[in-house]
Amino acid sequence: MGELRTEEFIVNMGPHHPSTHGVCRLVLTMDGEKIVKIEPVIGYLHRAIEKICENRTYMQCIPLLDRFEYVTAMSCNYVFSLAAERLAQIEVPERAEYLRVIMLELNRIASHLLFYGVTAMDIGAYTPFLYGLRERELIIDLFEMTCGQRLTYNYIRIGGVSRDIPKEFIPKCREALKIISGKMSDYEGLLNENPIWLERTKGIAVLPKELAIAYGVSGPVLRASGVQYDIRKNDPYSIYDRFDFEIPVRYNGDCYDRYLLRLDEIRQSIKIITQALDGLPDGDIKSKKSKMTFKAPAGEVYARIENSRGEMGVYLMSDGGKTPLRVKTRGASYNHVQVLPHFGTDMLIADLVANFATLDVIMPEVDR
Amino acid sequence: MTKEELAAYIQEKYGEKLTPLESGRYDLLYEVSKDNLLDVAQSLKDDENLQFDFLCNLLGADTKEHFEVIYNIASIYKNLRLDLKVILPYDAAEIESVQKIWPAANWYEREMWEMYGIEVKNHNDLKLLLLPDDWDQGFPMRKDWDAPDFVRLPEVD
Repeated sequence: MGELRTEEFIVNMGPHHPSTHGVCRLVLTMDGEKIVKIEPVIGYLHRAIEKICENRTYMQCIPLLDRFEYVTAMSCNYVFSLAAERLAQIEVPERAEYLRVIMLELNRIASHLLFYGVTAMDIGAYTPFLYGLRERELIIDLFEMTCGQRLTYNYIRIGGVSRDIPKEFIPKCREALKIISGKMSDYEGLLNENPIWLERTKGIAVLPKELAIAYGVSGPVLRASGVQYDIRKNDPYSIYDRFDFEIPVRYNGDCYDRYLLRLDEIRQSIKIITQALDGLPDGDIKSKKSKMTFKAPAGEVYARIENSRGEMGVYLMSDGGKTPLRVKTRGASYNHVQVLPHFGTDMLIADLVANFATLDVIMPEVDR
Repeated sequence: MTKEELAAYIQEKYGEKLTPLESGRYDLLYEVSKDNLLDVAQSLKDDENLQFDFLCNLLGADTKEHFEVIYNIASIYKNLRLDLKVILPYDAAEIESVQKIWPAANWYEREMWEMYGIEVKNHNDLKLLLLPDDWDQGFPMRKDWDAPDFVRLPEVD
């Protein structure tokens, strides 16, 4: 009998694959069960947000940018407002800054809970999905109570926030935080020691820190590779320098560490929100310059914040007119998809699914 | 290193090649000429005291007078931030790729190339990224480009 004829073949994963979290197409060159080459093909969700922003006033850009990264729309509102505030040098009232931090951190927890659910579902565990979404609902209810929206908030505006929180917000928020911190042991109990989970994530898709830095990887993925870098601490914005919290860091850079790190971050966020609720001052929620006719003076600025996925940035250029001259949005997922082909070739398709899930990629942020 | 110290350090060491720009608002913004770009970028990365190893963002822009290419870079270990700007006239829209220095530039440069038509030299994989494969309608992010069904809002005060 002659030798078996073997040849590489191509598997087209996506654009409508359930584990690509949107519409990302991965062209995989396979050698048997091993992946030899990954080529991401993106652009299916390109909505030309940057071009549309150039034809809208500053305030009109904010609800549009909600759609840029809809899982943490608060961050999108905030990063654009931050850029505009830096251009126009607007002082934001104390109370508004506290409300912003509360909302941003609540949004981070909601996003990480969604991550917990969908990652487990991608890897084959269904229960965590129900658990994660159950507690996320509590936070979404808080947002709905505050601004009437559950996903795209348009809440944080240039110079402040759109409206004050209702009276029952603070007790409900404290209750939600108490429930979530109580459930953390449930989450960990379901997966942390689970032999199937360990087999699927431990030592899988290791991202060395040199590679991570070279490819602009940021956020939890970078910190799981052993780099303690968080923009909230390293390039502080808003009033984050007033709170006492830690930046969790893990060193293996595999799927398991990326998963654990996000659970650590939920705890830190709860700590920040509790401090912010305690210190919430009375006062205005908007600066006097926060008007629908807001115009930024000529200049340019890059504002970046620590989103739940990593560095989210806006480069804003103004020529003093009614509309921005250029709005460039930077999403962390862009770099996380870009680094995919460089993870090495010792991977099965099932590992790629675990990898893609723990990178926590969201496609609208890549395609914009 | 604070922002002032960084500005002084750059003035002293790279003063010939980097010109500070007034338009930058929060972080330092420097103009660098097209020919010096690779040199400066490499030395900013290699400099022991700076170590600009992280490319946050890279963008092209059309200011109605010329093109601009802006590099937002950061240093993870030294905790610094800096912006570099290269100004390109419309008739010489061509720039060297910085991929060798910051591999993350790959997709950003492809996006800039397809959206503005700024030619990127020595890029290893220059092809359409966000636009459809059969795209033949020019460079959509240029200021003089309007989509066929695009309706501009009327001017109101």
